Order: sequence, then C-alpha cells, then structure tokens
Amino acid sequence: MFFPGSLATTLKIECIVEQTYGPWWQSLHRTMLRGILGKTFRLVGYTIQYACIAHCAFEYVGGVVMCSGPSMEPTIQNSDIVCAENLSRHFYGIQRGDIVIAKSPSDPKSNICKRVIGLEGDKILTSRPSDFFKSHNYVPTGHVWLEGDNLQNSTDSRYYGPVPYGLIRGRIFFKIWPLSDFGFLRDSPNGHRSPGD
Amino acid sequence: MAQSQGWVTRYFKAFCKGFFVAVPVAVTFLDRVACVARVEGASMQPSLNPGGSQSSDVVLLNHWKVRKFEVQRGDIVSLVSPKNPEQKIIKRVIALEGDIVKTIGHKNRYVKVPRGHIWVEGDHHGHSFDSNSFGPVSLGLLHAHATHILWPPERWQKLESVLPPERLPVQSEKESLHGSP
Repeated sequence: MFFPGSLATTLKIECIVEQTYGPWWQSLHRTMLRGILGKTFRLVGYTIQYACIAHCAFEYVGGVVMCSGPSMEPTIQNSDIVCAENLSRHFYGIQRGDIVIAKSPSDPKSNICKRVIGLEGDKILTSRPSDFFKSHNYVPTGHVWLEGDNLQNSTDSRYYGPVPYGLIRGRIFFKIWPLSDFGFLRDSPNGHRSPGD
Repeated sequence: MAQSQGWVTRYFKAFCKGFFVAVPVAVTFLDRVACVARVEGASMQPSLNPGGSQSSDVVLLNHWKVRKFEVQRGDIVSLVSPKNPEQKIIKRVIALEGDIVKTIGHKNRYVKVPRGHIWVEGDHHGHSFDSNSFGPVSLGLLHAHATHILWPPERWQKLESVLPPERLPVQSEKESLHGSP
C-alpha cells in the first residue's frame, strides 16, 4: 500500500537527515518533503473521490455513449453520439420499442445497441415475410428479444436468441450528435412486429 | 441566536461535504471491489448452508476478481438469475466456453458451451435451479466470485475451487489451472 510505506520511509529519511546534516538543511528537507507528500495525498484523494462519483453517475444515472456499426440505421448512424439513462433498467421500466444498450451475449466486454421488440411472454414472428409457413417463438421469462432497425445488416436475437434482462445496461433516449439529427429518437421503421402479428 | 445559526450552517456544510465523499466511495467499493451477502437455499449443500434454514452462511463476494470476466472451473460465483433479473443466484462453475458437458436433467444429454458463456451447477444436484434448467449462462451476468465464508464463525474458511471428478467436462478447449482432463 502506498500510504503507510511512504510515511515510514519519510520518518526514516528525516531521522537520517537530522543526524548527518545541519539545522538549515533539516528544516528545508522537512518542509519540502511534507509539502510534496501533502500534495500527493490530496491529489490521490481527489482522484479517488471523483472516480467514485463518476462510477455512481454512469452506473445509476446515465451517460453519453458513442455508437458504432450499421445495425441501427437509419435511427442511429455510425459514430453518432447519444445519451443513455440507467434508471429504467433499475426500475424495470424497459418497454417494447425502446432502444437499449446491452452487454453482448457472446462477448461480455463489448456492448450492443438494439431495439426491444418483445418482452418476456411475447410471441415473436421469426420467419421471414417471404416464407409461406409462419413460425413463432415465445420470449422466455427474464429475457427480451432485441433486433436492430437495419434488419438486413444486424446480428441480433434472430441470430443468438433471446437476451437475458440482466445484460441490459441502459436505455438510449436522446441523440446529441450530429447536430442535424439532434433530438429524441424515432420509432422503429419496421412497424410493430410482435404481439398480435 | 446568530451564534447558534452559524453553528447549524457549519454543521450542515460539513455533513454535505462528508456525505458527497463517503457515499460515492462506499457505493463504488461495494459495487466494484467486494461486498458480503447471505446465502439462502439448499442448492449448494454441503459447501454452503449445510444447516439448511437454521443458519444461513454469509459469504464474501469479490467483484475485483471477475472484473475481466476471468473464472476457472470449480469457482463458486454469484450471478444475476437469467430467469429473474431481480435475483442473484450462487452456483459453481462447471464448464467454460468450448467445453462439452454431460448434463443432469437437461433436455439434451450433451451440451457444448457457446462462446462467452459458462455452465454453472449447484452442488446439491436435484435441488438446484442451475444450467441444467436454463442452459449455459452469458458471462455478462457474472456478478462476483465468492471467496470466503464469514459467518457463522465456526464456519470461517476459504472456499476452494474444486470440481468434483464426476462433473469434469467431457471435452474441453481452454486450459485451466484446476483439474482439466
């Protein structure tokens, strides 16, 4: 640990300094050391404090996110900057049609950004419109069905199945860049494909 | 009168200062480093809660160890339940991604664990709601690694990452530090 070790070292250095050098050097050394040490402690303290406040803000309130990839076009383009809020996730208020950020089921270190098409218990149409026989799947309890708005170019629940609710990190509700598209996000361009279809 | 008002204002300012320092630091510590939790249920007997409902074990949950989602076979981990996101469950890791497990009571006899997933089981087979019911779980649901039992004092111990030999995966892709075939 940084703190006790450095304090012990400081005291040892001061004892050696007092024995070997004269009083002028002693007082200079003492003030310099205490000044630098004090400043370091304060800096470390502030860093820890602000890091903790940042963690609490990003975890419980929300933050700004940059999205990459084509799977949510035209609603969210590549390199758009959006605002995400985490209160809906904590109060279990995610609705159908919300755009959410979730941890990728196959890679927990990366995030995916998709739209919620169905909640638990919903019947999802999983066959293509061109198929003659329609097939349905029910979303299991504790899971959601996610799809990107750009259906041709999106790896989503049609590929890896329903996603557990616990993987959802937050809900995207506002776009702040590019400025030409500033504002709340549009509804899905694909119409409503779930319950009752 | 002016003196007591000054005292109240100074006390209030000191309280706010302390509050905005202490609460975020404590919350971050409990979220990112470690916390404690009481174990309920019989799904991990005899390792946890051998006394049933009479005395629940309290375990130390270490978040820091799983910050990069690195777990070994045999670790006891807590994760968000895939069937109920409000609940956390505590189970043992049996298999990592790429392993083929022989299941107990699952609809398929052999299951290959997909990428980014793990297979978890409770030690008390038959009384455990685990991967044999809901299949492999995504690593993103991982919450913490249970390292020690803290209460009751006669059960103070470090939880070992051992895999019972009959639960070793049939075939494994990744090397592990503990007991791979």
